[in-house]
Amino acid sequence: MNSLWTSLEGSALGSTIASSEWLFPTIETLHVIAIVSVVGAIAIMDLRLLGLTSRNRLVTAISRDTLPLTWIAFACAVVTGLLLFVSKATSYMVNPYFLAKMGLLLLAGLNMAAFHMVTWKGVARWDGTVAAIPPAAKMAGLASLIFWTLIVLCGRIIGFTLGIYH
Amino acid sequence: MAIGELLFEMTEWLRTTPLVEFSLWVSEQPLCIWLQSHFFAIPVFQAIHILSIAILFGSTLLLGLRVLGLNATDQSMSDNYRRYQPWIWGGVLALLASGVILLISEPVRNMVNPIFWIKMAALIVAITVSLRFLGAVRARAERWDVSPDGQASVRTGAVALIILWCVVMAGGRWIAYAPV
Repeated sequence: MNSLWTSLEGSALGSTIASSEWLFPTIETLHVIAIVSVVGAIAIMDLRLLGLTSRNRLVTAISRDTLPLTWIAFACAVVTGLLLFVSKATSYMVNPYFLAKMGLLLLAGLNMAAFHMVTWKGVARWDGTVAAIPPAAKMAGLASLIFWTLIVLCGRIIGFTLGIYH
Repeated sequence: MAIGELLFEMTEWLRTTPLVEFSLWVSEQPLCIWLQSHFFAIPVFQAIHILSIAILFGSTLLLGLRVLGLNATDQSMSDNYRRYQPWIWGGVLALLASGVILLISEPVRNMVNPIFWIKMAALIVAITVSLRFLGAVRARAERWDVSPDGQASVRTGAVALIILWCVVMAGGRWIAYAPV
């Protein structure tokens, strides 16, 4: 595996990003704008699932309002994230905060998948009634808020710790 | 690179101002020393700062998309305005509060840095445009979906505001890369 990360880093793409004065910070900027949009859109849905906001609007309507932005912004975050990763692959792969961030992303994805495959099936029963929101939906909303907060935090810590692990 | 030279000139000029002495004074204050000596303090406040702009930018983006007729068109503009307006101002307050902490945490790197001041200028413009934009949406909200006159300028405002907040975010990221 180690050689894979080394060869990624040494690839034309990786070395171009790493050796450019402006490419890395520019991609980082786009990554920040993308993740800020993801978290903003997801938080709106999570807070509705918790029954705290937009209580007079259907949960399914909130989902329609926020899902397109969530997916577009998430796709941008993944593409820019991969570009950042390729330029310093070996440093990222030994950084515990990067690995934690990837683990948290996986947990956030599993949480969302489980919610959509199980809890969402019965949404008609609690779509417009805050009091009827099932505990599973509230737990999914709360877990999502916690996961994304920690993903942002790990992302920031990576900026201070990249290169101190070998 | 011409921009690099301009930024370098700006830094040279900032070094002749009382900001140098002031930022050095701030760096001797207990709060700054505390933030500097606790490894996780700065990233935690940076994460709070990013979550603040997520609230602010997400709300601005979705209200802007509603104004542009691209999202939540089945919800009245009044309801849409009421839904996002408090979060936009709450986000601004959290952004400013966490930003002040971050400014204190690295006073010299921020205050003797041209990109920091460009970001502050962009921030003032973004907040001013937000005030005007939200005022215009509120004034037209009741008849928004009935009579579309006078909406062109509000739509322009929505696009301008989204771009402005992106410029502010770009400024935040580039503070770390200023040629100082």
